[in-house]
Amino acid sequence: MPQSVLQRDRVDALLPRALSARELEELLFPTKAELEGQDGDTLAVSVTPDRLDLLSEGGLGLCLQGQLEAARGLPPFPIVDLPDPAIAFDVDPSVAGLRPAIAGFVVASPPDRPLDTGLLEEAVRFQELIHGTVGRDRRAASLGIYPLERLSPPFRYTLEPIEGVRFVPLDGSDEVGGPEFFERHPMAARYGALGRAGASCLTLRDAAGVVLSLPPVLNSREGGEARAGDRWLLVESTGTRERAVRESLGLLSVVFASRGWTVAPVPVRGGSPLEGDGRPVVAPRSIVLPSALLHGLAGVARPADEVTQRLSRARLSAHPHSGGWRVEVPPWRPDLLTAVDVAEDAILAAPLRPEDGIVAPSPTQGRRLAAARFRRRFSIAMLGMGHAQPYTSLLVSDAAVERVPGARPLRLLNPVSAEFSSLRDRLLLSHLEVLRRNTRHSYPQRIGEVGPVVVADPAAESGATTRYHAGALVASDGAGFADAAAIVDALLREVDVVAVREPADLPGTIVGRAARARVAGEAVAELGEIRPETLTALGVPVPVAWAEIDLTALAPLVSVRES
Amino acid sequence: MPDASPTDASDPAASLSLSAPERTVLRALQTAPRTPVEEEALANELSLGPDQVRGSLQRLRAKRLALLEEAHPIARLITPRGQLALQRGLPERRFLEALDRAGGALTPDAAAAAGLDEEERSAAIGILRRRGWLADGVPFRRTPAALPATERLPEEVVLGQVATGDDDVDEAIVSALERRGLVRTERRSVKRWSPSEEGRRLVIESEGETLIGPLTPAVLASGAWRTGRFRPYDVRAAVPFRAAPHPNPYAQWLEEFEEILIGLGFEQAEGPLLETEFWNNDVLFMPQDHPARSLHDALSVVGVSGRPPSPELLARVAAVHEGVPMPGETEPVGPGWGTPYDPGIAARPVLRSQTTPVSARLLALHPTPPFRRYSLDRNFRREEVDARHGIEFTQCEGILGADGTSLRELIGMFGALSEAIGIREMKIRPSYFPFTEPSIEGYVRHPRLGWIEIFPGGMLRPEVLRPLGVEVPVAAWGIGIGRLAMIALGLNDLRELFEDDLDRLQGVA
Repeated sequence: MPQSVLQRDRVDALLPRALSARELEELLFPTKAELEGQDGDTLAVSVTPDRLDLLSEGGLGLCLQGQLEAARGLPPFPIVDLPDPAIAFDVDPSVAGLRPAIAGFVVASPPDRPLDTGLLEEAVRFQELIHGTVGRDRRAASLGIYPLERLSPPFRYTLEPIEGVRFVPLDGSDEVGGPEFFERHPMAARYGALGRAGASCLTLRDAAGVVLSLPPVLNSREGGEARAGDRWLLVESTGTRERAVRESLGLLSVVFASRGWTVAPVPVRGGSPLEGDGRPVVAPRSIVLPSALLHGLAGVARPADEVTQRLSRARLSAHPHSGGWRVEVPPWRPDLLTAVDVAEDAILAAPLRPEDGIVAPSPTQGRRLAAARFRRRFSIAMLGMGHAQPYTSLLVSDAAVERVPGARPLRLLNPVSAEFSSLRDRLLLSHLEVLRRNTRHSYPQRIGEVGPVVVADPAAESGATTRYHAGALVASDGAGFADAAAIVDALLREVDVVAVREPADLPGTIVGRAARARVAGEAVAELGEIRPETLTALGVPVPVAWAEIDLTALAPLVSVRES
Repeated sequence: MPDASPTDASDPAASLSLSAPERTVLRALQTAPRTPVEEEALANELSLGPDQVRGSLQRLRAKRLALLEEAHPIARLITPRGQLALQRGLPERRFLEALDRAGGALTPDAAAAAGLDEEERSAAIGILRRRGWLADGVPFRRTPAALPATERLPEEVVLGQVATGDDDVDEAIVSALERRGLVRTERRSVKRWSPSEEGRRLVIESEGETLIGPLTPAVLASGAWRTGRFRPYDVRAAVPFRAAPHPNPYAQWLEEFEEILIGLGFEQAEGPLLETEFWNNDVLFMPQDHPARSLHDALSVVGVSGRPPSPELLARVAAVHEGVPMPGETEPVGPGWGTPYDPGIAARPVLRSQTTPVSARLLALHPTPPFRRYSLDRNFRREEVDARHGIEFTQCEGILGADGTSLRELIGMFGALSEAIGIREMKIRPSYFPFTEPSIEGYVRHPRLGWIEIFPGGMLRPEVLRPLGVEVPVAAWGIGIGRLAMIALGLNDLRELFEDDLDRLQGVA
């Protein structure tokens, strides 16, 4: 779950009164945020992935205002005119192949409260969180914040030769050339590849040629350093995914909206996927919530007023609409895609109680699958034959595969460790491991398990089939092929079939002491004596007989008695 | 190595063997008219030496065939000096008699002449004076209190009692006689034996008789068992270890949980463990570039290639992802993810990361309600293995769908399930899953662990249902059943669910 550490005083500043730890925990329980911990100055908060807005002090404050009923409805985030009609993003077609999307907005502080250090730090902290989530580590989208009053619009987003770029990086004091920056700067080492194509790199410059930033790597000090006291900020996002660009901007806007700032959309010109007046990025969206949908999902019809109140408490704005409500949602709620998303807010705005649940009479008759019932018979039969019943993993180790030459299980492309690296194609691979782990115990040892295996199958949709095997091992002084054959015969008798054995060379067995068993011509079982090299490697001092029945192959061949 | 096989030929139980003297002694105990019998008497009765009888009895006792009662009675015996006193009279008696014979005054010389030696004379004078029967001074004279000559002294009475074995004696006088060396006290050990219940019932072969050992086919066929007697076995002797396999505790617990679901009307469903990304993610409205689908989180397999589902279904799911109308429709289901849908990604094989694909396949195959299905099966995530996390884990997926199915029904189902596993307190909070909206999480209060998240679920999104052709609301949930099992089985480590210790599986440890 995404999480962040928030400054408590910045949250408190948005609330009508200070909250105790317990109050805070209780208020957050019916929301999608959870208090993970706190000390005097900070709150550790985690959220579900759809409510990243709650990981900013501003977003959490708005939510708590609603929970406390200190404020309701959509927070005011007035859309105003741009201070300079020249403000716009001019997009050069050269960016199309690398990072085509750009959008942004301008925010203006309340007259008496210009940007302060706390708000700037909050915005930068939240910006980094957005980079790591919605931005997919800046690949899909990355944000930049600039001091508008020190820039000359319009702003040009282009791909230009690295050789011609000179700027002072935001974290430095000396001007560097593009080649040097991309060669040496740690941010370039990390994100440089996202913003360059061969000898060119992405730049955002103002009309005076001042470099604002090298998206998505780093801002410049001259054009990209916002400071306390600034009243107008330019916020932009570039990326490969339009949606991520829009979402990242919308999320960041909550920081300013919660502090009474106003917003002005910035037009995008020149062929960007987000070309236009920029208004959709910052304006509330409208979603129609049909009452039938809401009541159907909730399982209860609530009065229209109550629904309006609930949505208002969730910091949305709802108005009656034919057959439901028209709901205004702010830009920092990208999780609200359709009517069902808004319905969730309406349903969850008040705590859900277990006693609201109903248990409807079942319209169906519960039962196990016939195949599962079939498998269960073999499991019980092996138990009755004295086989201990392990529960082994489908994933087996490199060592387990290597000790059975000839076994060819599917291998994982990206295993976490050599211990879980292949998908067993026979239970034998797991069961030999069980014997290895039990060499300290006395013999004879008998194990038996019904479990899944996965075998390559070009005809299957995923390229492999899941099959269920009944596997048994007998390790004892005198165990041999006859024991294995007797197990197969006994288990097959459970389903009233008789198999015919034929010699076979099987992985891990002694040549000449292994067989395949067929029923009605279909191979249904493999059996044999385990080769001494394997036993020695396992540390098993007695012979081992092995039998394994492919229940998936067997099931269609028998008329199943209902168990 | 001991053979613990229940199917191997059964070893005969250890025979209960008795030596000849043991048989003789036991037979004597079995036939004694009254028990217990004193060991000494038994030895006298049998033509065996006392040591042989004693040894046999002890061995029979070790075999739990004979019972011992041991007593330690007190015996008082007359010493040789006491015998002499009985014959000649006590010194004080003889002194008084000599005094009487001397006419009431006895000089020391006369006393010596009466047969009393120096020691006896001193003892007699001391005793008689302490009793006030002899006046001070010499010659010795009786006092008026002295006992008449016709009466017996108390010491004489007690000495006589001891001599005749009469235990009803004055203990103080016995002690005085002991101090005078006339009587001594001994503690005796008396062992009395009787046969135990087993000893009484035990069949003892007679001289020349051969008892039947194992009941072999030959014995059965010959009919020897009709006339012969069976050699008894030592039923307490150690026997070979026999394994008694139990159902695997985890598998058994999962079955019990299944029974709860079946009782609530759920039918089982299954699906492949190696899925395509289409079924594992796309059909569940997981964006194709979602981080959880990367190689960092999802387990991929080499050497196999998958293929997309039917072109019709693929087109519908692609339309939902792209936010365009599905084929034949005019309105999109929703805005989608705003990125082009890649059928190549849809065909990639991946180990199933959740059980929900099973439900999706089921709904695609049978979109007609009602639905009440469960799938309790293995899933895989790319996690580091520790006590709380595993690459392979079991999830219990369920779907409910019919006209009118709602979140309330889902909450009701959570309540029914938690009650069925014995937990009554529950609370609900919002949650998030890409394929459900609303999404909730049921917490239950465990007596030891406090509030724990158990029931994640929600209502399947239209983006999931519409492409599958489902026209009723469907509630879905997926329980991390391993966690519940750990609580129920009292385990602290998820890895213990994959139990393979044979001792524990056989109920030994």
